[in-house]
Amino acid sequence: MSQTTAVHGEKISLLRVLGPAHVWALGVGIVLVGEYMGWNFAVGKGGMIAALIACWVAGLLYTCVAMIDSEVTSTVAAAGGQYAQAKHIVGPLMAFNVGLYLVFAYTMLEAANAITLGYLVQTVGTMAGFADVHDKPFIVLTIMFLAWLNYRGVYATLTVNLILTAIAFVAILILFAAVKPWSNELLNHQAMLNGLPYGWLGVIASLHFGLWYYLGIEGTCQAAEEVRSPARSLPLGTMTGIMTLLIAATMTWYVCSGLMPWEYLGQAVTPLFDAARLTNSMPLMVLLFVGTVFSTLASANGCINDASRAWFSMGRDRYLPTWFGAVHPKNRTPYRSIVFLVPVALVFAYFAPLDQVITFSILSGLLGYTYMSLNVILFRRKWPLGMIKRGYIHPFHPLPALVLLLLCSVTYFAVFLGYGTQLIAMLIFFVVASLWFHFHRYQYVRRGDQFTMQWPRPVGY
Amino acid sequence: MANSHYEPPKQSAFGQLIDSLFLLVLVIAALFAPLYLKLAGGGKIDIAVADKSTWAGLGQSAVQQAQWEKLGFTPETAASIITSRFDYSFNPTEVVITAVVIIGYFALLFAFSRTEYREVIEERFGRK
Amino acid sequence: MNSFQILEYAAWAISAVLGLYMLFDMIRIDRTYDEELLTSSREGDIEDTLVIDPPHQGGHK
Repeated sequence: MSQTTAVHGEKISLLRVLGPAHVWALGVGIVLVGEYMGWNFAVGKGGMIAALIACWVAGLLYTCVAMIDSEVTSTVAAAGGQYAQAKHIVGPLMAFNVGLYLVFAYTMLEAANAITLGYLVQTVGTMAGFADVHDKPFIVLTIMFLAWLNYRGVYATLTVNLILTAIAFVAILILFAAVKPWSNELLNHQAMLNGLPYGWLGVIASLHFGLWYYLGIEGTCQAAEEVRSPARSLPLGTMTGIMTLLIAATMTWYVCSGLMPWEYLGQAVTPLFDAARLTNSMPLMVLLFVGTVFSTLASANGCINDASRAWFSMGRDRYLPTWFGAVHPKNRTPYRSIVFLVPVALVFAYFAPLDQVITFSILSGLLGYTYMSLNVILFRRKWPLGMIKRGYIHPFHPLPALVLLLLCSVTYFAVFLGYGTQLIAMLIFFVVASLWFHFHRYQYVRRGDQFTMQWPRPVGY
Repeated sequence: MANSHYEPPKQSAFGQLIDSLFLLVLVIAALFAPLYLKLAGGGKIDIAVADKSTWAGLGQSAVQQAQWEKLGFTPETAASIITSRFDYSFNPTEVVITAVVIIGYFALLFAFSRTEYREVIEERFGRK
Repeated sequence: MNSFQILEYAAWAISAVLGLYMLFDMIRIDRTYDEELLTSSREGDIEDTLVIDPPHQGGHK
């Protein structure tokens, strides 16, 4: 892929080179790491059965997210994804907040990935018999390398993601086949399952980490300005992505729950790697080690891509200093945003503990989903069907939006159980940031220019 | 476009820098404040078991015991993991406060966005 | 110094090189090109440029 200095009419823009497979890789690539680490904290919060219920309830939540998102994004196709949607449908302050959710969710997820990768290298170093091994150099290297890859160009970045993701997904399939799910030779669910240790309250509590099975799938629409035919590719990539994840999540649960006592699984850092260890098979161990490394890399890679697109879009609209709205003339990437977010990710990966980082990521995502459910209702009201061309129309409106809103409310309560302080701290942050935006920052924003879609005037305005 | 067109002031490089730094500090404060104030994380309690030094005493069956051992645990090292439970007792007032904060936050967002959005639409499509 | 330590130092070194590369390239680009051009990207140039063949990028005026 040659990246030339294309200057049409003294303007440079992002490069439109990606296909549906890249969209799938971006969506699934970010999320698949959730099966390799993190989801199992749901087992700790409510037990095995609760984790399975959480897996499917969260699956329902994300199916709603994917359907709603596909409809809106097939229409509002711009870098920044949900941010650009909010700007057109709800208003500038909402857009500013959505932009921050995206940057937060992805930068924290990127930090979580780097921490996991560093931990894994450290574990392997210790297993190999070295004394005094550190994880920090590998945490830093992960972030630096992926930032550099992103800096160099989007096509190479997401092609790498496609390969990494595909291998990590196949690794889960192979593990599932290798434990012979039809026999009791390795798996023993009867001996391992233990009912609901916390009762039904535990089921709700486990929904908190149940989101982790899928968190980030909505990132597909960040690539909207770089996809060749967004109206077709984005819904296709997103929907196949959510199907892939539902399958992978259920398989992961089935394998792990039949192999490990729930008390162990509930606090494991690398559950699928542990599952492979319990099969006594060296090839499987190597495969799942590679799978874990690849999935963390793919995820962090996609996160840098998405967070920088959101930051870039906000700079371009003057929501943030305009300096961030620059495109690299040769690489055609939002290079300043990429560089700026590197130290932010480093600070969190270096100093903060994993479950806190994950919780902040989940909370940002959750705020985003709450917005989406309200957003789609307004979208249908301001531009009813038939008024503008939609690439995809989701069925049963407004049922998915209401289900999504209900599930979000339950999940807030789940986060509250155990992590109430972070929830409040996060909301205080967003309130302060919103007031700052409304009373200070918004003066630098051009009013009419924010509305860039070729749509008619919204109904009721 | 005859109607009121808003021309924003040009922001100086210094102003841009201050704005970026403000956001950066705010982000880091939001994340690290709960950690430093030691308010982060759920409360955990230990449940009582018959005997912490044997697998049977910890309530583990023979099959479970085999898996623990394969993972490299002894009853002593596994005991703290097996007996630890989350403490889900909570105060209803706290739930109500949290709910009010969340709903208030979204109400604020939608209210401010609405006024700003009207301006955007007026400038883009002209006054009605 | 064992071989794992060498690996750790290598990781630090590569990180530094990549970081410095990005920093210097950013400064170089900022000085070579006009700020107006760099920030000229606008949202929503979607419908009219819907299908662009990647190999032919750069040929358009």
